[in-house]
Amino acid sequence: MTITTDLPLDLAPTIRTRPPRRTAKPVAAEKGTVLIGLATFAILVGLWFAASHFRWTSPLFLPSPAEVVTQFRAVATDGYAEGTLLDHLGSSLWRIGMALAIALVVGIPLGLSMGLNRWMRGIFSVPIDLYWGLPPLAYLPLMIIWLGIGETSKILLLTLSTFAPVCFSAQAGVRSVPVERINAALSLGAKQWQIFTSIILPSALPEILTGFRIAIGAGLSTLVAAELIAARSGLGYMIMSAANFLATDVVFVGLIVIAALAFSLSAGMRWLERRLVPWKGKI
Amino acid sequence: MLQVREASVVFPTSDGKSVHALDRVSLDIAPASIVVAVGASGCGKSTLLNAIAGFLPLTEGSIRLDGTPVMRPGGDRGVVFQKDTLLPWASVLDNVALGLRYQGVGKRERAERARELLCMVGLADFGDKPPYELSGGMRQRVGIARALATDPKILLMDEPFGALDSLTRETMQQLLASVWAQTGKQVLFITHSIEEALLLGTTIIVMSPRPGRIVARFEADFVHDFARADDIGPIVSAPRFVELREEIRALIHHPPVSRHGALQ
Repeated sequence: MTITTDLPLDLAPTIRTRPPRRTAKPVAAEKGTVLIGLATFAILVGLWFAASHFRWTSPLFLPSPAEVVTQFRAVATDGYAEGTLLDHLGSSLWRIGMALAIALVVGIPLGLSMGLNRWMRGIFSVPIDLYWGLPPLAYLPLMIIWLGIGETSKILLLTLSTFAPVCFSAQAGVRSVPVERINAALSLGAKQWQIFTSIILPSALPEILTGFRIAIGAGLSTLVAAELIAARSGLGYMIMSAANFLATDVVFVGLIVIAALAFSLSAGMRWLERRLVPWKGKI
Repeated sequence: MLQVREASVVFPTSDGKSVHALDRVSLDIAPASIVVAVGASGCGKSTLLNAIAGFLPLTEGSIRLDGTPVMRPGGDRGVVFQKDTLLPWASVLDNVALGLRYQGVGKRERAERARELLCMVGLADFGDKPPYELSGGMRQRVGIARALATDPKILLMDEPFGALDSLTRETMQQLLASVWAQTGKQVLFITHSIEEALLLGTTIIVMSPRPGRIVARFEADFVHDFARADDIGPIVSAPRFVELREEIRALIHHPPVSRHGALQ
C-alpha cells in the first residue's frame, strides 16, 4: 500500500515548483487543470497497482505494473515479433510521418487554392467529400489489391485519411479571412501576391494547424488499425502478435507506447500553436 | 483634389427591388480640408466612402483623384476603419510599416518612418508590442499612423472613433485635429455624431437616407481652435457652434422631401 500513497507525495514537490516559473506566460487558466490532471493520473495508476496487488482479476486480463515494466525492458532490448520496440515504433512513425508530410505538401496548397478559386473548389470538393466520408479501413482491402501488402498501400491509406482535414482546413482558413483585413491591405497599396503572402496565408495559419491536429488524430487511429490487419512491423502489429499468444503484458506495453506517442504529438502541436500563432483568438 | 460627380450606387435587394444607397452625389474635397459626412444610419455615408476607397463600384457617375479616375483600392487613399484591421501577428511597428513594405521600402527606412508616425500619435513606446495588448483607442491610433505611413493623398475615415468610450473619443478627435494640422492632408470623415462633425470639419455635408443623398453643406472652422484647445467647453458653447448644431440636428431628423420619392 505504501506505493499508492507515495506516488502523489513524490509528485507534490515538482508540482509546487512549477507555477512560479510559468507565471510570466499567460497560461494562468491552464495551470489549475494541470494539478487536477496529474492527480487523476496518479489515482488511475494507483488503482492499477491496487487491482493487481489484491488480485481483483486474473493477471491474464490485467498484468501487474511490475510485469509490464519487465516486459517493456525485454521488448525494448530483445524485441518481440521480429523486432525491438524501437523497430516497431520506428516503422509506425515512418508510416505516419511520410503520410503527414505528403498530406501537408499536397493538402495545404490544394486547400489554399480551393479557398481562393471557384474552379478549384468546384472540381476538387466533390471527390474529396466523397472519399472522406468513407472509413479508411473500408478501402484498405482495395489499397492492398492495388498496391500489395507492402508499405505503399499503408502510406497511401494514411495519406488519404490525413489529407482531407488538412486540405479542408486550409480552404476554411482562406474563406475565414475578414474582408476588412484584405481591404485594408489593398488600400495600403498591396498587390495580389502580397495580399496572399502577408494577409491570407498568416490569417489561415490557425485553421491549418487545427486541421493538422485533426489529421494527426485521424492518422494515428488509421495507422494502428491498419497495422492490426495487414503489416509485418509496427506497434499495431506487435500488439496483434502479442494478443495471439495472450501476452497481455506486451499488449499493455504497446498500448502505453501508443498513448505516449499520441500525447507527445498533441503536446507538440500545442507547443507549435503557441509558437506560431500566439495571437490566435486575440483579435 | 478629390472630385465626386453624380455618383450613384444601386444595390439589388432580396425581394427583387433595388435600393439607391447613393443617389447622384457630387462632392469636392480640396487639399487641406476635412470634409465630414454626417447623417443617420443608412444615409449612404459609408457607401460614399467605400466607393471612394474603391471597395465598391459606382453604378453611375465618376470619382477622380487629382484627375485620375478611381477604379479600385490603392495606396493613394489611406483608409481608417471603424473596426481595427491591424494584423495580430505583427508588432505595432510592423503594422504601421505595412504599406511601406508593400512599396518595397527597405527595412531600416520603414522602421524609421514608422517610429516617427508612432511618435506623432503618442505611441512611441509601443512599437514592439503586439496589437492585441493595446486598448481600443491605442489601436485606432496605430490605424491612423498606418494609413499615413504611405503618405496618401487623402485619408478616408469610416466612423473611426465610433466604438470608443466618450473620453477616449475626445482625445482621439483632438489627436486627429492636430495630426491634420501637421500633415495638411485632405480628409473625408464619416460620423453620426453632429458634435464630432462640427469639431473636425472644414466642410460638413449632411446626408439623408432613401435615397442616400446630400441635403445640405456647411462651412465651419472650429478645427483649428480645437487642435490647440485645452478645453472644448468654450468651443462647443460658442453661439455659432450651437446654432449650426441645432440646424444640422433638424435636417437629420426632418430631411427635406426628396425630389424623386423614396424606394424605387
